[in-house]
Amino acid sequence: MILVVTYSRAARLSLRNVCRTHDDAVVTRFGRAALLEETAFGAFQALRLQEKHGLDVQLERTEPFNEFSHVDGDVREAARAYENRDQPSTPYERFAAGRDLPSPDALRGREL
Amino acid sequence: MRVVVDGRVHEGRAVDLDGTVAARELAAAIRDGHDRITVDCPDPGRVHEHVGLVSDDASIRPRTALAMAARSRGLSTPEDERRRRVRERLQALSTPEVDGRAARKRVAEAGSDVQRLRERVAELRGRLDAGDDVAEADLRAAIRELSERETERVAAREELTAVRREQREARAVRRRRLELQDRMENLARTARSKLVDRLRSDFAAAVAAARRIASEPPSGPSADPFDAESVTVALAVARLADVNAPLVLDCDRFETAAEAAAWLDAPVVRP
Repeated sequence: MILVVTYSRAARLSLRNVCRTHDDAVVTRFGRAALLEETAFGAFQALRLQEKHGLDVQLERTEPFNEFSHVDGDVREAARAYENRDQPSTPYERFAAGRDLPSPDALRGREL
Repeated sequence: MRVVVDGRVHEGRAVDLDGTVAARELAAAIRDGHDRITVDCPDPGRVHEHVGLVSDDASIRPRTALAMAARSRGLSTPEDERRRRVRERLQALSTPEVDGRAARKRVAEAGSDVQRLRERVAELRGRLDAGDDVAEADLRAAIRELSERETERVAAREELTAVRREQREARAVRRRRLELQDRMENLARTARSKLVDRLRSDFAAAVAAARRIASEPPSGPSADPFDAESVTVALAVARLADVNAPLVLDCDRFETAAEAAAWLDAPVVRP
C-alpha cells in the first residue's frame, strides 16, 4: 500500500478531499495520513499531492508484515512470552534478563 | 466621505447616488479603488468584509460577522494573547527543506544501470561460451562498467539513507508547526464564540429592531436571531459595529441614505 502523510493544513485538506472523491483507491484514512491502493492510480493521486504540496507530503510504501518471514523466532517468542507473563507490572528488561530472551537494547540494535 | 462619479461630487456622511452605479462596483471602490468611482474615506476595517455591502444577494456568516463587530468595538478575549504567543512560536520555527527527490532518482538510475549491465554481461558471457565471435574486450569492458555502477549504487543508497534520516528530523519540525497552526485555529474559534456570546443579547435586540423597520411581524420568543434574513442580520451587525468607512446599502429598508446612516450610526452610501 502507499502511505501518504501530510504536514500542513493545506496538504491535510487536499488529502481529505482526495479520499472523499476517490474512496475506491483508499484503503484507510487516519486524519492527516492515509493508505492508498498500490496501483498506478493510487500512485497518481499520491504524486499529485506531492506535486501540489511538496515537502509537506511524505510518501512511503508498505509491505505485508509476515512475522514468520521477516522476524526471527526469538523475537516472536519474546513477544509471546512477555504478553503471557504472570506479573503485569514487570518491565520487559527485567523479564528478559531472567529468561533466555533478547534485551530491549539488543532488540533495538537488530534490523529486520 | 467624498464620492466622485463621472465628475460629479457628493459629500457627507450619507450619500444617495440614485442608481447611477452598481452596488458591487461601489463596494469595490471603497475597498480597493475603481476607475469610474472615487471614494475618499477612512480605510475599511475588518467588519467591512462582512457588512460592507448590504444587499439581498450578499451572503453573510452571522456569527463571524458579529464577532468582527465586537472586535470593531475594541472587545477582546484572553485567547487573543494566547494566539499571539502561539504565532510568535510559529514564526520562530524554521522548517528545514530536505528534498529526497535527487537522492531517490540517483538510486533508481543506478539500480536500473546495474540491472541492464548484469544482463549484458550475462549475454556476452553466454555468447562467448557458445563459441560466438564476440570480443573478450567487450566482455571485460562490460564487467568493468558493471562494477563501477555497482559501486555507484552503494553510494547512492548510502546517500538516500542519510537524506531519509534528515527528512525525519525535518518532518518532526513540520509536525510541530501543524500542531501550532491547529492550536491557533482553535483559539480563534474559541475567541469568536466568546465574542458572539458577549453581543448575543444586543444582537437579538438589533435584529428585532431591523425587523420592525422592515415592517415584518416580530418573530416568536424562540426564534433564533442568527437565522434571520441575511439583510436583517447585516443591518443588525452593522448597527452594533463601530464602522469607519461607508457601508454600501443596496436594500429597500430605508427611504434615504440619511435615514439609514442615522439608524446604523455609520456612514452610508446608496448606489
